[in-house]
Amino acid sequence: MAGPRVNGNSKKRKAATEEHAQPEETVFSHNVGLEMQSEDEGSEGDESDNGEVDEFPEIDPRSDSEADEEYPGDSAEDEEEDEDKDDEEDEEEESEDQSEDDDISDDDLHIFPKAKTVTSDITGQLKRVFPPIEPDYDSDSSTEEAPNRVGNIPMHWYDELPHVGYDINGRKVLRPARGDELDKFLETIEDPNSWTSAFDKKAQADKPLTAEELDLIRRLQENEIPDAQYDPYEPTIEWFTGKGKEEIMPLSGAPEPKRRWVPSIWEKQKVMKIVRAIRQGRILPNKPKTASDKAQFYAIWNEEPSAHPAPLPAPKPRLPTHAASYNPPEEYLPTEEERKRWEETEKEDREQNFLPQKYSALRLVPAYNQFIQERFSRQLDLYLAPRIQRTKLQIDPNSLIPKLPSPNSLRPFPVYKSLSVLHAKTRVRSVSVSPDGAWVVSGDESGNVSLWEVIVGKEVKRWKFDGKVGALEWCPRTDVVFFVVATEERLHFVIPPNLPAPVLFATQAVLSPANLPPAPATPSPVKWTSVSAASSSSEKPILTIDLPPSSGLPKQIAWHRKGDYLSTISSGEGQGGVWIHQISRRHSQAPFKKVKGAVQLVLFHPTKPHFFVATQRYVRIYNLAEQKLLKTLQAGIRWISSMDVHPLGDHLIVGGYDRKLCWFDLELSDKPYKILRYHSRAVRSVHFHPTYPLFASSSDDGSIQIFHARVYNDLMTDPLIVPLKILRGHQVNEGLGVLQIKWVPRQPWLVSAGADGNVAVWCS
Amino acid sequence: MGRLRQKGKAGAAKAYVTRSAAVKRLQCSLADFRRLCILKGIFPREPRNRKRANKGSSAPTNFYYAKDIAYLAHEPVLKKLREHKAFAKKLARALGRGEWSSAKSLEDNKPVYRLDHIIKERYPTFIDAVRDIDDALCMIFLFASLPSDSKVSPSLIENCARLAAEWQLYIMHTHALRKVFLSIKGVYYQAEVFDQTVTWLVPYQFTQNIPSDVDVRVMLTFLELYQTLLGFVFFKLYTDAGLVYPPPLDTKKDESAAGVGAFSLQEVQHTAGPEPASKAKTLDADGKRVSSKDVRQTIKSISATVVDDVDVDMPNVDSTSEEADEDFVAQPSRSNPQETAALPTLQALNSIPQSTSTKLFSPYTFWLSRETSRPIFEFLVRSYGGRIGWPATSGSGSPFEEDDESITHVIIDRPLVVKDNETEEERERRQRRKYVQPQWVVDCINAGKVLLEEPYAQGKTLPPHLSPFEDRAGAYDPTLGLGAQDVSMEDEEESEVEDVSEPEEDAEEEAARPEKAALKAAAAAEDAAALRAAELEAEAAGVDFGTFEKTAQKARKKAKSSETPAVDESEQDMNKMLMSNKQRKLFERMKHGEKKRAAEVSSSGKCDCASLIIFRSDKTSKKRNEL
Repeated sequence: MAGPRVNGNSKKRKAATEEHAQPEETVFSHNVGLEMQSEDEGSEGDESDNGEVDEFPEIDPRSDSEADEEYPGDSAEDEEEDEDKDDEEDEEEESEDQSEDDDISDDDLHIFPKAKTVTSDITGQLKRVFPPIEPDYDSDSSTEEAPNRVGNIPMHWYDELPHVGYDINGRKVLRPARGDELDKFLETIEDPNSWTSAFDKKAQADKPLTAEELDLIRRLQENEIPDAQYDPYEPTIEWFTGKGKEEIMPLSGAPEPKRRWVPSIWEKQKVMKIVRAIRQGRILPNKPKTASDKAQFYAIWNEEPSAHPAPLPAPKPRLPTHAASYNPPEEYLPTEEERKRWEETEKEDREQNFLPQKYSALRLVPAYNQFIQERFSRQLDLYLAPRIQRTKLQIDPNSLIPKLPSPNSLRPFPVYKSLSVLHAKTRVRSVSVSPDGAWVVSGDESGNVSLWEVIVGKEVKRWKFDGKVGALEWCPRTDVVFFVVATEERLHFVIPPNLPAPVLFATQAVLSPANLPPAPATPSPVKWTSVSAASSSSEKPILTIDLPPSSGLPKQIAWHRKGDYLSTISSGEGQGGVWIHQISRRHSQAPFKKVKGAVQLVLFHPTKPHFFVATQRYVRIYNLAEQKLLKTLQAGIRWISSMDVHPLGDHLIVGGYDRKLCWFDLELSDKPYKILRYHSRAVRSVHFHPTYPLFASSSDDGSIQIFHARVYNDLMTDPLIVPLKILRGHQVNEGLGVLQIKWVPRQPWLVSAGADGNVAVWCS
Repeated sequence: MGRLRQKGKAGAAKAYVTRSAAVKRLQCSLADFRRLCILKGIFPREPRNRKRANKGSSAPTNFYYAKDIAYLAHEPVLKKLREHKAFAKKLARALGRGEWSSAKSLEDNKPVYRLDHIIKERYPTFIDAVRDIDDALCMIFLFASLPSDSKVSPSLIENCARLAAEWQLYIMHTHALRKVFLSIKGVYYQAEVFDQTVTWLVPYQFTQNIPSDVDVRVMLTFLELYQTLLGFVFFKLYTDAGLVYPPPLDTKKDESAAGVGAFSLQEVQHTAGPEPASKAKTLDADGKRVSSKDVRQTIKSISATVVDDVDVDMPNVDSTSEEADEDFVAQPSRSNPQETAALPTLQALNSIPQSTSTKLFSPYTFWLSRETSRPIFEFLVRSYGGRIGWPATSGSGSPFEEDDESITHVIIDRPLVVKDNETEEERERRQRRKYVQPQWVVDCINAGKVLLEEPYAQGKTLPPHLSPFEDRAGAYDPTLGLGAQDVSMEDEEESEVEDVSEPEEDAEEEAARPEKAALKAAAAAEDAAALRAAELEAEAAGVDFGTFEKTAQKARKKAKSSETPAVDESEQDMNKMLMSNKQRKLFERMKHGEKKRAAEVSSSGKCDCASLIIFRSDKTSKKRNEL
């Protein structure tokens, strides 16, 4: 109890002494707050004002008196004491002040104004009369010394002015004269007190520091208590303890409780519990340290292992090869360039993490400097690297190649080039074989169309048209014989020479009938002009269809199976691209008002009234009878180049400029059943054989690939596609190879037209 | 339509957690997490789809199985780590307050974790543990050779050195060493323990310092685990071999750098009663208690220690074990002959071909020259049954002195110098002994027979030292060119029996060789003129016409058949068109690998026909891929 009480005493005492100490403390607190932290210290202005830096921190000498002004709550006696102490100082300040107010004299420094002794009017006695106190803010600051009354403002506001503020009467306090830098410097040299003076912002002049202030600074510098009067080691005064100060009377009259003098049972029980535990050895007061320190090993694997499978062991590091030997065979030593390459590669990318070296004796082998790093990286691998379990394929790679019937068992198919017909120096864009399989017409870019025999290759006749031949096609009808040649904006229907008379008449009757069918109600942009049957010859086309102007070169002619309709695609822009021409009615129509994308190809379905339209990326199937879209096939080809439909009509092959060939099973899906990519350049042409289970594709790489394509009638069996033969023989000319291929009906033969001007026949 | 599934509630998003998520879940620091992962053997996994596992983010992170982490959350070691954190705080506070006594009592009750359960968990059976001690041994041997510093305490290094010595002692005792390879990185040893091949790497004896780019804390955590693992493994190995674990260490010998010799192997005293730890069944036979462990041990010793053991450290061990052998072999034949007879023979069958090679050096006594590394060669020679001595400069404990009469080989690694002032006795001794370079010992071990000392004699240029680990089928073999030399390297003593038949074989071979060459020429001949020339050649070589005709026909047929595959090949090439993309890529990858291997084989084929000199200068055959 004594301790706190003593503390309490000292506290009280402190409180008592505090009053004495107060003045100093105030001084201290304000003086400490003098400087630096004040934001009102005009930053730039000040610096420019006193460019010279004093040794002491700049001190705001609004010393005690001013502080008092700001804190009017301070007790009166403080003021008084202050007053007493700072008497001389005040006087000094006074003397220095130039614009000192006359009214403020020494007398005014007293807080209690002087009383006058007057005789009372009432009592007639003497009485002291004090002057009335004006209860304003400044009423209490009669002791105020500072002439400048601008208050706590940034002094740089007065930088430009000749005065530094106003005194109490509103008169300007002029700026004290200040010398230049040289004067200042001389002052510091000459004046012995200059180093103990500080710049007074309010007065804009250097003021010497008082002895108290200096003492304060010294104490702060030396980490002493700033208050000189405070004695931290004064003796404690025992107020309530000690001899003769005991409380004689008890505070309470209650009798002493039993627990004060009877030993506690509970404590005893608790202690006994511990004692018993120690006796029984359950608690070891000082455990022997060595036992716990050392790992005790025992037969850990004697118990049955748990049912859990063991975690997968980490992969073992590679065992060293001959190259790691200290004395490897010569051929393992790196050559100079290998060494350089090894040094240049990144550490992670190196195939081996060391360079093989040869030492003639074991004693010459040095320490391996990467030993610890390698162990460390192994450990990093162990705990930081994700592990993947890879099943190593133990299969023969050749077993991945699909087993297909041998091509030999799938004969006949074209194997060799039997003959070739040369068109002079121009690309042969198009070729067509007559439905009886005996004749071929081929058209080149210079407008020549030649008719020749398949078997011997002898040219029978040659026509010359204006401009390029974009496409040509035999009419599939067998009762009439003619073919169509497409040139710039025009279709020419030509009857080959040497036809038997009945066929010729029939053909003439079809192409230029004696009585023309009535003209359509609405005028069509397509004009049909025909030469009369009598005046017709095989020299000139018997019928010409003028496609609408600026429709460009027709790219393709597609016949309907029955030979009455044919469709053409013009390379020109716009809707005018696709036309369907009906020969019996001598009528042309554009089936599509609007087509999405540029139409590349069209095809008639061999059996159904369906119409295939290939745009750049999709193949759309329309029902012409119902006039609606049936399907859109997505080939996944960037740019479709060619297309053909299987004679049974359920399968479609589409070739693309991006080297792909897609096989569509139309019953199955909109997506290809198979995508083949075997040509090294763009696929140019694809064609199904009309009778044999064959199809072929030609490409810009100059090769023709023959496939066996068997289609089964039942829906369950997938079509069988077997590559049979690659035919090479066409030259690649300016990046173009084989431009068109056509099968010869009834024979397993192929006719191909190449960019090198050759038209070749491939026979089995 | 089923219930709508929320994203991130099932599948990969649930099965994997990132490392930071794991740390957050376990509420431990990253360092503690790392420690736990190392101790528990938990490693990151690669999800099949990283984006799906990381909830749509493709930021590079490591993933752990969520179940692994959930499993870690119940780990006693994690609890101890948390306790340790609290302890560290308490200790720091006590020290800060200057409460020394409470700090001391805190320090005394410091939480310490044990790894027993982790060992048992990670290696449920002893075989699992033996399979996985490779890394542990490498680390132990590395740390045994490191200098101690502020991070690596001397006691740790001492313990590592002790474990390393115990392992070597065991290997020497059981003669389990199979292969040795002196590489530029250090010495690779391979031993066969419990039918598991254990490979470890020991650095050469140089002081190494831990480089600054290596995180010692990680290594020390691993070391902590490895020390415990090896302790348990060695305990089991020693007790199964009937030895006391840990083997008592003679500190006096150890201080005089006796190395492995400072330990002495002691046979377990069975009369003292069965150990409490081993609950193996014991049976009473001949008034002597025989535990199953003894049975196993004796079976082993039948196969391995039939010959008198020359191991200097434990003469008493051998004698007792042999006594046990006799006891054991006699006793079961009385009780149940068939059953027990089958048991040792199976073991013996396995080890009989080895038993000769594991005692390779038993007839010899070696002396180590001062500049050779004693720890390496003492271990090698003793594990192959040889006796070895060394000068006092290499450490104490040499069983004999240099002038011992029994020394047959001196392992010496210094250039030949002619000594003038040689005494008669010295010269005589020098002529009696064989001076070999250290590589001879290693090559003998790898060859499984004692090689001719001549190519390895002091001062000779050594034949290349080849890795015994490269026995992959179809790999490049640099010895092919050296074939003839290899045969001649056979030691006369070893192949005395073979010697009788060898000259005949050689003669036959010699005779057969020109014939074969001629036939080969016949096979190679294509046109008629070449065939004629080949025929003449064959006649000169003494081949009768019938055989010649036959080979020629065969060759022609072969040529034809090689033509037809060409057609097949083009067909197959076409069939490749119909492969799906996936299949084609796989196919191409496999073909690429095949080609790479074929390139290697072709290089070795080149060596086949090349003479030794060409082979040596052949720099093109160096293309090889380390697998």
